Amino acid sequence: MQPLANITPLKPAGAIEVRNVGQIFKTTTQDVVALEDVSLDVKPGRFVVLVGPSGCGKSTLLMMMAGLRQQTSGTITISGAPIPEPDPNRVGVVFQEASLFPWLTAEENVEFPLALRGVTKNDRRARAQDALKLVGLDGFGKRHPHELSGGMKQRVSIARGLVQDPPVLLMDEPFAALDEQTRMTMGDELLRIWAATGKTVVFVTHSLTEAVYLADEVIVMSPRPGRIVDHLQVSLPRPRTYEMLSGDAFGSLRDRIWRHIRKSA
Amino acid sequence: MSAATLRRLIVIGLIVLWEILPRAGFIPELFLPSLSSTLAAGWNEAGEYGHALAVTLYEVAISMAFACGGGILLGAIVGSLPRPRILIMPMVSSLYAVPLVILYPVFTVWLGIGSESKIAFASIYGFLPTMLATAAGIQTIDPQLLLAARSMGATLSQRLVRVIIPAAIPTVLSGLRVGGALVIVGVVVSEMLISSAGIGYLISRYRTILDSPHVFAGVLLVLAMAIAFNAAIKWIERKAAIWQTGTRAGQDSAGEVAPTALQPAT
Repeated sequence: MQPLANITPLKPAGAIEVRNVGQIFKTTTQDVVALEDVSLDVKPGRFVVLVGPSGCGKSTLLMMMAGLRQQTSGTITISGAPIPEPDPNRVGVVFQEASLFPWLTAEENVEFPLALRGVTKNDRRARAQDALKLVGLDGFGKRHPHELSGGMKQRVSIARGLVQDPPVLLMDEPFAALDEQTRMTMGDELLRIWAATGKTVVFVTHSLTEAVYLADEVIVMSPRPGRIVDHLQVSLPRPRTYEMLSGDAFGSLRDRIWRHIRKSA
Repeated sequence: MSAATLRRLIVIGLIVLWEILPRAGFIPELFLPSLSSTLAAGWNEAGEYGHALAVTLYEVAISMAFACGGGILLGAIVGSLPRPRILIMPMVSSLYAVPLVILYPVFTVWLGIGSESKIAFASIYGFLPTMLATAAGIQTIDPQLLLAARSMGATLSQRLVRVIIPAAIPTVLSGLRVGGALVIVGVVVSEMLISSAGIGYLISRYRTILDSPHVFAGVLLVLAMAIAFNAAIKWIERKAAIWQTGTRAGQDSAGEVAPTALQPAT
């Protein structure tokens, strides 16, 4: 008897499907509903941003897509298959600044996921070089994280997420710890990398400006229990430019998100 | 003038004063024999001091293996598993305030006045800080690093070898620094108390006959041992924790060892 999953048609690489997902955290005193009935479709190659006030479960949802946490109910599939545990061939994850290994050089950090899989040294080095070149860090491979600026560290982190060429890149507030100017530059850099690679990106942020500036689609979430309250299409042309930030289209999108968030905060 | 040059000048100045002050008669030879007469005393009894040094080094080496090996092992268990932590940590913390030297007479009753009682005492003496540092080192590993490793598909054993151990090394080394220094203190102190061999014993014996040059020759040897130990730890720190350069390790910690190490013994 064939298992049913084998005869369902495979979704194209990079598609994310979230169906009726719920998450309940049990504490000693009560059960906290972190997510309730969240459904969401991300088409391959789209740039989707999750926004919402603290505690709305957007990071939790991202961790589930990464296979780092399991939902209490519902299903999540990446490229058509469930993700019961992390799979760097399907999903790359970029965290906040602190997640580079400080005892490794930049290129060793990028090679780390390959080393876990026993890829040979030469092969590893070559692929790490390509990934570092892609994020604009050619020639910085021998430096340790403490010798790199905040923006450069985050570039290394993105290179590490991309080194196995997964169709999906998940980013959990990757620029939150950066200063304003670096943050703007990194946003443009990320869009360039995204355009060059065609990855599906799901990006969590607190910044509404960043959300509208980067996204094809913005998903707005509300807390207690975490659920999706709006799903916006951002139809601003690409490439995005700094001048768009002051335009009416940009302003009205940001206002619409802000009204949702103000209501629930 | 750089701090390092100044430091060297101070050391040279102290050495010169050590020679001049007793010679000029400002300090009686009984209190502080001149450096040259100390060195001469040591040289004349080189065989005796060499034998004592061998005994002491042997005891220090064995004790260090017990204290550091045991401390790292138990510290790793206590640091990574909550259940043993809840059981053991309160006991260890309250034990920390007890002057462990009170155990030494008991050890001499159990193990005799030879090397065994010194090794037992010094091992326990150096064990606690090593264990506490290792436990702290493992407990304070940034959970983000472990999460990142997991997101890249690292198995439990890969996380242990590639993340937990390298991340804990700096803290473990600082534990070894204190633990190892305490082992030296433990061995020398116990030799001074009840013993028949070792540098501590020589110092103690020459003191009872008021032979200051020979006492100070022994003190010099202990000093040299502590300095050599410190240099060794620094070397390991530089090799193993290269990523910490620029933050903390390998800088100016040499001076801190002796005072912190000596405190519990007195």
